[in-house]
Amino acid sequence: MSINAHPELPEFDYVRPATLMEASRFLAEHAGEARPLLGGTDIFVRMRDGFYHDKYLVDVKHLDSTDELSYDPQRGLKLGAGVNMNRVMASPMVQAHYALLAEACRSVASYQLRTRATIVGNICNASPAGDTIGACLVLGGVLNVHGVGGYRQEPLATFFRGPGKTVLQPGDIVTSIEFPPAPAGAAGVYIKLGRNTWSDLSIVGVTVYGYADAGRASGYRFQAALASVAPTPLLVPALEEHLASHPINAEAFRQAARLAQAACSPIDDVRGSARYRKAMVRTLTEKALQMTWKKLGN
Amino acid sequence: MTSQIEATSAPHPIGDSVRRVDAREKVVGSAMFADDLQFGAGLLYARIKRSHLPHALIKRIDTSKARALPGVKAVVTGEDYAGHIGLYLQDRFIFCRDRVRYVGDPVAGVAAVSEEIAEQAVELIEVEYEPLPGVFDPEYGASPEAPLLHPDLGQYEVANFIFPEPGTNISNHFRIRKGDVDAAWAQCAAIVERKYRIPHVQHVPIEPHVATARVDENGKVRLWGSSQSPFAQRNLIAKSLGLSQSDVQVIAPYVGGGFGCKAGVSMEALAVAIAMKVKGRPVKLRLTREEEFYTAFVRQGLVAYFKMGCDAQGRLLAMENRFYWDGGAYTEYGVNITRAAGYSSSGPYNVPNVKTDSYCVYTNHPVGGPMRGFGMPEMHAGLEQCIDELALAVHMDPVQFRKINCIKTGDTLVTGMTMHATGLSECLTRAAEAIGWGRKEPPSAPNKRRGKGIALMWKAPAMPPNAGSSAKVALNEDGTVTVSVGGQEIGQGSFTIAAQMAAAALGVPIDWVRVATPLDTNYSPYEWQTVASRLTWSMGNAITAAARDARRQILEMVAKAWNENIEDLDIIDGKVISYKSEEAISLKNIVIYGIPLPNDQGWVGGPVLGRGSFMPTYVTGLDAETGQGPRAVVHYTTGAQAVEVEVDMDTGRVRVLRGVAAFDVGKAINPEMVRAQMEGGFVQGLSTALFESLQLKEGVLQNPSFVDYRIATSTDVPPDIETIIVEVAQDDGPWGARGIGEHAMVPTIPAIANAIYDAIGIRVGAPPYTSEKVYLAMLEAGLVEE
Repeated sequence: MSINAHPELPEFDYVRPATLMEASRFLAEHAGEARPLLGGTDIFVRMRDGFYHDKYLVDVKHLDSTDELSYDPQRGLKLGAGVNMNRVMASPMVQAHYALLAEACRSVASYQLRTRATIVGNICNASPAGDTIGACLVLGGVLNVHGVGGYRQEPLATFFRGPGKTVLQPGDIVTSIEFPPAPAGAAGVYIKLGRNTWSDLSIVGVTVYGYADAGRASGYRFQAALASVAPTPLLVPALEEHLASHPINAEAFRQAARLAQAACSPIDDVRGSARYRKAMVRTLTEKALQMTWKKLGN
Repeated sequence: MTSQIEATSAPHPIGDSVRRVDAREKVVGSAMFADDLQFGAGLLYARIKRSHLPHALIKRIDTSKARALPGVKAVVTGEDYAGHIGLYLQDRFIFCRDRVRYVGDPVAGVAAVSEEIAEQAVELIEVEYEPLPGVFDPEYGASPEAPLLHPDLGQYEVANFIFPEPGTNISNHFRIRKGDVDAAWAQCAAIVERKYRIPHVQHVPIEPHVATARVDENGKVRLWGSSQSPFAQRNLIAKSLGLSQSDVQVIAPYVGGGFGCKAGVSMEALAVAIAMKVKGRPVKLRLTREEEFYTAFVRQGLVAYFKMGCDAQGRLLAMENRFYWDGGAYTEYGVNITRAAGYSSSGPYNVPNVKTDSYCVYTNHPVGGPMRGFGMPEMHAGLEQCIDELALAVHMDPVQFRKINCIKTGDTLVTGMTMHATGLSECLTRAAEAIGWGRKEPPSAPNKRRGKGIALMWKAPAMPPNAGSSAKVALNEDGTVTVSVGGQEIGQGSFTIAAQMAAAALGVPIDWVRVATPLDTNYSPYEWQTVASRLTWSMGNAITAAARDARRQILEMVAKAWNENIEDLDIIDGKVISYKSEEAISLKNIVIYGIPLPNDQGWVGGPVLGRGSFMPTYVTGLDAETGQGPRAVVHYTTGAQAVEVEVDMDTGRVRVLRGVAAFDVGKAINPEMVRAQMEGGFVQGLSTALFESLQLKEGVLQNPSFVDYRIATSTDVPPDIETIIVEVAQDDGPWGARGIGEHAMVPTIPAIANAIYDAIGIRVGAPPYTSEKVYLAMLEAGLVEE
């Protein structure tokens, strides 16, 4: 038992490499004591609170294409690692094709914080509570990662290993996230339940995304991702399967919500109890499915 | 509905919403706060070594490594200071000596050339503890089984109206025995018995505590701090260190929010104690936000038992209340909260038979202290829910029930005191009207339920019977007026009403008045403390007296110069005028240089300096066994709040859609600022009703930052808060005014709880009524399915 009554930002060196390779090498050479820096909205807080002890923060915001926000009808959306959330929300392309992403960003902290906070940073923090991660998961996000061996891609669906843990290795820098073109007419919803209405961390977050898909028996594909109810952000394949194979109606949504509830494994913490979180996964998933269904024009 | 004050017309600018005198400097950022003050290169920084255990004996402290660290100038422990400190009960050491009693208790202090080095030194201090079993519940703490936290309770110096019970953890036991409760129960048609648990909350001012102390070679102490109580700090620090009050100078610039946590003495004594060891050098101590959460005064927790009964007509016949206040590790200030709750324990109701036992109990929790409302929000939280339940038990409308029973002018109060003129009934009627009482509005969505709730309140300034105020009014060559006061501007607008009162009493335009800042115990006139919503009333009386004194001096001077009668003269708009000769002369110049007599025959007058003081002399003691006496308090401010809420059945989220606040302020000196207090109090009350609690687990705070200690933001607050000013004049208040600062948050928790009940038909239990608590309560009640 101890208390930290005097948290302080410890001393660290700010490193600004000229190239991605230089950055990757530096990070690899200083494994365990260096960390890539994007907006810093989480890193600085965690350093101040004594959870991170890195000697070096390696700024990668300015490097090769990390500032890029581009959309191509064939290739989809590409968001550079350094693109802040307010810029994502303001993009007409995002609003037109990936409105869910903008909605998720809007739920994060405050406008001031979002001028620094980035989606890639939110992902790399790998907090189960990350508000934009659910949207990135259901939108089929793929990360471009630069490591000492050059570029590779990591699908987001297999990226998370535990709270704060990912598949990234020392030297890896996520330079951007890409999303495939959104299916025509797709719609989604992010419901964030905080303790108060604004600027809180989620007790439970539910992302639902759906679109008409002739390839499925029900004629629709629905996906759900859950925040703050498992060691990692959680996709719910059972929900997707259920709604692919059953006629879409209120009962199907109710049953799908129960599947989401069964899939999660929340804990008791200072923000909420496991019991309440379980209950909220069910009610909010059902609600999110209904809202998405409505947005789909039904 | 009569407003007596309307019968007499108040002079300009009383009753005008003049612009705040501090508005411009605060908006442009030039206002100085305690951490803005510069002390040059010699400044040292202090950090405090704090206990991580809730209860333990200190076996050994080794400071040698800390002392050896380059840059460290002093290390101080309890061995250095043997004196006790405390406002009503001297139960604290400045630094712990033999034992620690809460997580955060100061064990040692360091002064170093930087905060970083001071922090390193703190980490080098070794403390060996022997852990002791703790007390984490006040009801248990009051029981004979509980370990004793203050074995020396019997030896502590204590105010004569506080009754500790040595050999127990009860540091004050206040009793009310009025009428015959036991006989009354038999006559009751309905009786309600309930238990409530109210959690600890923090004040969370924007500006954390900060204090800088310097001790001169000759032993004189200077302290600059964010303070509601420079004079109380001067007094208590001097006493604890064995100094004369005049050897301690406290300088207090603007305060960035206090709400009570900057009253009395807390961390300021640490800064002074450390500075004593590095004479000649200023030492600054700033609390981090986390430290603020761990160690600043908290609003005490409360476990309250209520039993109340009424006859078939709904007339209250009896109340029996037991309050266990979670006073925390030291109750030097909190003991008087227990007393205040005791002498107000009937709530604002006329009850012939009352039995109350209000206990202040030591626990191994953070130190309880004053917070906006001083026990009243906590007590009313349960009491006003019980009143609702009792009304429903006799099938009466809660508003009607309150109309019958609420305190009215001339009633005999729970202490035997006679109630002065009060507009409580008008507050109740108008609040009910404004919220549309009796009408059920349709919910905004099928999964939501709406409800309305109302609650009343009363509160008296809680203070020693003879808490005094004083003021000076000095005139300048240009006719402007400098008002000096010892009451602090903590955001509530005290300096503005000081200017208004001085302008009105003297007869000058409001923009001629300046308020002398910062407060400085060497230059400012005495004020007990900026607490208890007492400044408008008490300091206001002193200012008015001082301004009238200056006015008399001016009129006497002019009467002599003009050879007129003083009765024929007046001061209007900065000019002395004669109704008889129709002469007029500006105050400019004459208020300093006087007036020459004709033919060079000399002068009359001279620099004008008015003085005024006020001290209530009519508050009497109360019988220790019965709590009865002729006049327990100076007066009560009364009021009502009504709210409309909507409960989301999917999540349990409670949204307050509308709020109404109606308070009898006697006379609104500045109506806009009165409304601002009513709105701000409502918001803070709402925040404590829905979000706030210090989550203490075996004495360890689980949410020591704003990440997990949630407070209401603008988006949690209804856009529509209606404020109703009722003005039934107070006989001993300036222009009839009485206080409003604290009262505005007293009835909010029960008003919201009653509205939740109206919406969903259940009582959720202990606040805060978070989404989770409400949802789980609905689950238990079968309103929603698992």
